[in-house]
Amino acid sequence: MGKNKAFKAPKAKFDKVYFKRYYQLYLLLALPLIYLLIFKYVPMWYILIAFKKYSIVLPVHKMAWAKHNGMEFFIKAFKSKDFLVALRNTIMLNLKDLIVGFPVPIIFALILNELRVKRFKKVVQTITYMPHFLSWVVIYGLALQLFAPSTGLVNLFVEKLGGNSINFLGEPGNWVRTYIGLGIWQSFGWNSIIYLAAIAGISPDLYEAASVDGASRFQKMWHITLPGIRSTIIVLLIMALGNIIGSGFDRPFAMANPTVLEKAEVIATYVYKAGIKGSQFSLTAAVGLFQSVVNVFFLLGANWLSRKFGERGIW
Amino acid sequence: MKKKVLSFLLACAMTLSLAACGDKTAGEAATAPKADGESAAEAGASELTDGKFAETRHITVEVYDRNNDGGSDPTNNAYTEYIKKGMLEKHNVEVEFVAIPRWTEVDEINTQLAAGTAPDVCVTYSYPTVKAYADMDAVIDMRPYIDNYKDELPNLWNWLGETNLYWNSDLNDGTTWAIEAKLANMNRVITFIRKDWLDKLGLKEPTTKEEFHDVLVAFKENADTLLGSDANKMVPYSVSYDVGWRAATLIESFLDPDISDKEYYVNGFDDRKICQNGTKDGVKLLNEWYNEGLMWKDFYLYGSGDSTEDDMMKAGYVGAFTHNWDYPWRNGEDSIAANLKRLVGDDAKYIAIDPFEDKKGGHNKFLAGPIDRKIFFPATNDEPLASMLYLDYISSPEVIEFLQVGEEGVTHNVLDDGGYEILAATGDAIQNSGMNIDYTITCNGLHLTNEDLTNKSLAHTYAGVDPQDILDADKIAKTDTRVGINVNVGDIEAETGAGDTLTAKRDTCFDNAVKAPTAEFDATWEAGLSDYLSSGGQDIIDERTEKWDSVYSSENIR
Repeated sequence: MGKNKAFKAPKAKFDKVYFKRYYQLYLLLALPLIYLLIFKYVPMWYILIAFKKYSIVLPVHKMAWAKHNGMEFFIKAFKSKDFLVALRNTIMLNLKDLIVGFPVPIIFALILNELRVKRFKKVVQTITYMPHFLSWVVIYGLALQLFAPSTGLVNLFVEKLGGNSINFLGEPGNWVRTYIGLGIWQSFGWNSIIYLAAIAGISPDLYEAASVDGASRFQKMWHITLPGIRSTIIVLLIMALGNIIGSGFDRPFAMANPTVLEKAEVIATYVYKAGIKGSQFSLTAAVGLFQSVVNVFFLLGANWLSRKFGERGIW
Repeated sequence: MKKKVLSFLLACAMTLSLAACGDKTAGEAATAPKADGESAAEAGASELTDGKFAETRHITVEVYDRNNDGGSDPTNNAYTEYIKKGMLEKHNVEVEFVAIPRWTEVDEINTQLAAGTAPDVCVTYSYPTVKAYADMDAVIDMRPYIDNYKDELPNLWNWLGETNLYWNSDLNDGTTWAIEAKLANMNRVITFIRKDWLDKLGLKEPTTKEEFHDVLVAFKENADTLLGSDANKMVPYSVSYDVGWRAATLIESFLDPDISDKEYYVNGFDDRKICQNGTKDGVKLLNEWYNEGLMWKDFYLYGSGDSTEDDMMKAGYVGAFTHNWDYPWRNGEDSIAANLKRLVGDDAKYIAIDPFEDKKGGHNKFLAGPIDRKIFFPATNDEPLASMLYLDYISSPEVIEFLQVGEEGVTHNVLDDGGYEILAATGDAIQNSGMNIDYTITCNGLHLTNEDLTNKSLAHTYAGVDPQDILDADKIAKTDTRVGINVNVGDIEAETGAGDTLTAKRDTCFDNAVKAPTAEFDATWEAGLSDYLSSGGQDIIDERTEKWDSVYSSENIR
């Protein structure tokens, strides 16, 4: 907030009167801080597991250090073909998600904003953000009903029209497209809400002035609406980039099947299989740590870039 | 005033969150290592008078939750009540059951072990899981209890004997992380076919692969006659994503019936036999059938525990399938047989066949050995002795008999020849698993108080099924079997933690190979297999070979 000096906080001098007046606010603040401390900071101590030989019965500080100065499991991970495949898949799926999926809610918000009939706009908005509340297991169930090669509704339709059934879920390339498509379907309505809120914050004066000057609809969209939500877009883009090698677990796990594993195995599912099911906790702690560190770098990098181009960034 | 209330509430919230923090450290202390079993066992010798504890002890016991339609609560029903009462009377031990979902048992028990909340008596089908936790000192060595309390555990010793009690014992120091439950009935998988379809088309029961194939083709060609408007839903031969298991008899018929013990063991880490010589030919045949449209097209999309395939069998769309020897009759009223009768007609039924001949003309079937589930005590178990007594109690012939056949008039009738006939029970007395195997954790398969009774009853243990069908299936399942032996060459390090990644690779290899276009079969299979081998499969084969050679001097040990 460096440049923005218009709003100044009251001088925070610690004196009795001040504290007496405001202590309740500080108490309120304490709750989320304690939450962060207990659930986000204390567990960081257990990052040590990545550098130690894990034992379920010993406290972390008593576990023996792993070989190669504690780097044994990082070396093992990067020598493991399966981890590298999972890493590649994670990046590929997230990149495709970002490239294809990121603009969709923005475009959708722009379109929705142009609608005249208020009630229709509300109905469309409600319907499109509904899938956000479905779990991926349910969505995969729906996908099976629609896309299964021999019994799926879509394929029955295709076959009735004389085409060949398309293997949406059992052929790696198609699977990726289905994965991205369902991801967009599930989230674009929900993600557009924040853009709609940003659009609502743009001063109507600008539009009126533009109309007086004879601007067309598209010109208004391009020159007023989009610049008006630019900072929101940038913030969301930074956050998305910060998650480029992270991923949810349930989406790839629920949607995968043995025949597409070469594209569907991501870090989260690899950690689940090798770590939790295979009881290799140190190995997967190392993988998880690597994942977090890379994500932090992406986050910092994206933020640095955005500030470089004159945007605010996220801090 | 309002402010005061507010600040009081906030203060409360803070204290609570701090208390939650404190609990965590307490939990850590509780998982500290226990005194070793030996000394604990000696100290405990005086605890029992006539097999009873002076003070009531409390143990928790894992039970599978199968989530059956219309089943009873697995932790609270007529059978749990019987066990609880019996244990309290006999040993003064209170038993509490903990439900673990059957189809994700390994994941679930893993999480609970990691969290230190696993039940005192744990059951799993996966020895690697037990071993992984044993390596972290999270499992109790059962050997001292097995040996030192031999006199207190007569039923356990009688039933399991040295073979199963010592099955997993370490070659050098005898440490035993898990004991093996016993298979009373070693029947594994066989093939079933729709008898009414054969009759309708005037076909014989197939006895060779070629005849089987011809029957499948006939089913497909006559789909309109057999299924009418549902003709396009027909699946002549159904196999799930777990091809290696669901086509096991077909695949095994391609293996050498005289395979040496060494070869079978060395290539045998994967129980679906992906590395065995001959498996590829079996999968190739399946691939041919798949491309002829004789199999379930979407088989690979439905994962473990999904009921879609069962539902197709129940609805009558499936011509033949391979599964556990009694699968069509399991689950009483919800069984495939019962549903088929209701939905299709009285004459619709599956019968067992044995169509896959091996190269010697027999019907080679590999059995796993007389072992079943693995029973172990996590280190968080404070009552190992009471837990051993539980295993003893659950292994006594009378208890097994009651759990398997229940009460007269409720779950069974006594027939004229003295055998038991199982009835479809209702309410509290419903058995969630066939013959309550989920409670008889040391025993899988009908095992009554005497052998004669068992044989007389076997055919009548499935309510509403023609006893002859069961006897036929049992006979086929027992034809040309080769029982697995206990190869104990010490730990294979390459196997540690490798199980689940390799299992996933194996399914990928099988599934892709079955659904590949005919011309691409070889390439697909080789790609899948080499991926399996390079992800750790080859290391296991090499280490197994090396350890075999260091322990045994010949290729065969039986």
